[in-house]
Amino acid sequence: MIEVEGLRKQYGDLVAVDDVSFTAEPGAIFGLLGPNGAGKSTTIGCISGLLKPGAGRVRVLGHDVMTEGPLSRRKLGVVPQELALYEDLSARENLAYWGSAYGLRGSHLKKRVNSVLELSGLIDRAKEPVKKYSGGMKRRLNFACGIVHEPEALLLDEPTVGVDPQSRVRLLDLVREQSKNGATVLYTTHYMEEAEHLCDRLAIIDHGKIIAEGTLPELRAMLGERDILRIMGKFDPNIVFETLSQLEDIEIVQADEETITLATPQASTRLSDILMEISEEGFEVRETTLTQPSLESLFIKLTGKELRE
Amino acid sequence: MRFVWTTALKDWRRHRRNPIEAAIWIGIPLLVGFLIALAFGGQGGHTPQAHVLVADEDNSFLSQLLVGALSQEAAGGFIRAEEVEQDVGRLRMDKGDATAMLVIPEGFSQAVLLEEPVALQLLTNPSQRILPGMVEESLSILADGTFYLHRLMGEDLRTIAQGPPPGATVFGDAAVAALSVRVNQLTQRLGEYLSPPLIQLETSIDEDQEEDDEITFGFLLLPTILFMALLFIAQGLSEDIWQERTRKTLRRVVVSPQHILAFLVGKIMSGAGIVFAVCLVALCVGYAYLSLSVTTLPLALVWATLSGAMLMTGMLTIQLFATSQRAGNILTMAIMFPLMMVGGSFFPFEAMPKWMAAIGTKTPNGWALQHFKGIVLQQTDPGSLGLAFLGLLGVSTVLFLVCAWRLRRGFAQG
Repeated sequence: MIEVEGLRKQYGDLVAVDDVSFTAEPGAIFGLLGPNGAGKSTTIGCISGLLKPGAGRVRVLGHDVMTEGPLSRRKLGVVPQELALYEDLSARENLAYWGSAYGLRGSHLKKRVNSVLELSGLIDRAKEPVKKYSGGMKRRLNFACGIVHEPEALLLDEPTVGVDPQSRVRLLDLVREQSKNGATVLYTTHYMEEAEHLCDRLAIIDHGKIIAEGTLPELRAMLGERDILRIMGKFDPNIVFETLSQLEDIEIVQADEETITLATPQASTRLSDILMEISEEGFEVRETTLTQPSLESLFIKLTGKELRE
Repeated sequence: MRFVWTTALKDWRRHRRNPIEAAIWIGIPLLVGFLIALAFGGQGGHTPQAHVLVADEDNSFLSQLLVGALSQEAAGGFIRAEEVEQDVGRLRMDKGDATAMLVIPEGFSQAVLLEEPVALQLLTNPSQRILPGMVEESLSILADGTFYLHRLMGEDLRTIAQGPPPGATVFGDAAVAALSVRVNQLTQRLGEYLSPPLIQLETSIDEDQEEDDEITFGFLLLPTILFMALLFIAQGLSEDIWQERTRKTLRRVVVSPQHILAFLVGKIMSGAGIVFAVCLVALCVGYAYLSLSVTTLPLALVWATLSGAMLMTGMLTIQLFATSQRAGNILTMAIMFPLMMVGGSFFPFEAMPKWMAAIGTKTPNGWALQHFKGIVLQQTDPGSLGLAFLGLLGVSTVLFLVCAWRLRRGFAQG
């Protein structure tokens, strides 16, 4: 478990992280989502012990990072945003070195090195110097170095930045596997889709503050976001407009003779009522599409700007 | 402790895979040493020799005597005279085949004996600077010799030059006997001044000088090259901390459960290992070549290794306080080269002006180098050597603590 309470970090006049609190549970992936410069890496830095928090409290697996630094770091894995590898050494040598930094040795170290080489798909080129690797391979090795010691808590700071789609899929699978194995995973990203598909719970951070936190449905509900329901068939737009307007909390975005677009909360639960009303008027429905609003739109609504700005 | 060792091993592997780095550290000092040996005429150089072409138009006993005098061993053997025809000699001079060409005109012998004006023609090679001047100087000395001979035996020489009296084909027995007696008397008179020369030398023995005389040029060069290599290695290895920082591996160490001090000790240990390997090879070769006493080798090796580690820690301290990698490199280079020049690690102290050597021995590398020489020549007593070792360890420890403080206070997090 990773517990962060009232974390604050200031560089001169700039408050990088301001009163940040959240809890990442074991066996789940907690996403920290925000644009560049929002304070994600600073938060990760404070949790990992790289940076000294100005205020607040951070506990990793029950150990306070300030007072029990080495203990909290022993079972913590960190995958930094930048590649932190020795390019002159091979993948095996890199892994062996970082494994030894976490106290692994002898046959156990060898076993773990082989295991993560296998997991990351680098076993065939394990003896080559890292400088000969592609960007995606380096990313996977960077990740492997963070998990070689089987951490119980894992901090991932935008691990898929600049990675090709194939390596990205592989990396995300590796992250899920860590979570499945019971590790607490804290994952920072500014890729909305990644967060949507990967994270069990999310916190949206901007200007050093957490502006929203919850599961994906909770976030949507919290923000009053509506699902988009598109109905295709043969309609009289005026009658449809009149009929559906009588239903509660439904916004007709667009209606013509072939398509009706509605915005409504929890559209999946209300779909049967809507379709019944339409069919009672004698119109034919051929196809329906339900689109849940994306985090991107949530972020825009919350901050008034796009995530990648 | 285990992490210290794995860090050192990791760095050794990295440096082993970068042969260019090692070539620079060792190659430059070797090249500089070779050039210095050439410049100072170290060992194996040939004595320069002037090649003088002589066109003897007089072809007399006296002109042959002059040619012989030019190339005699007593003149230092730096002139090699070769007789040629005048036109051939001029052609060869045009090609630049010789240092100079001496033309002895016809009637030279008669003119010398009668003390009449005569001009020797000396053509010099303009592409050579020093040797033609030396030839000219030699001829001038011979001319002075002729002048003094005339002052002493002018009458007799003129008599010989004028030949037998009119009506006779040879000198009479009485004339020859009288000439012999005068030459003999003159020789006896001069003998007490010339053979042996009446010069009294006052000799006093400067003990230090005597010891220095035993030191060969090769010996002076060995510590110079070794400490130059140590400075290059120290500078090169110190730069590696910036590599660790820019590659973010230093951050990874900080977030691991290991103490950053263990990492620092590992890095210094790996540096010391590299220094040890270089010193071992250099000293083994040096000791064998200079036939030095092998009993001092282990101590010299330990001293040189510790000195290298101290220099590396010093350079590392500077790097850690620099604002960027570039600034760190400029700073360490700016410190390394003056230290090298003044501290006897480029030119031996013995080849420096005394005031500069006195300053040089106060520099860290100069101080270490002096003690190194003392160890090799067995001129240091155990007491002062013990103190020097303590000093070396003390300075290294202080520098290490400063490095550790700086690493923990911001550098590693950068």
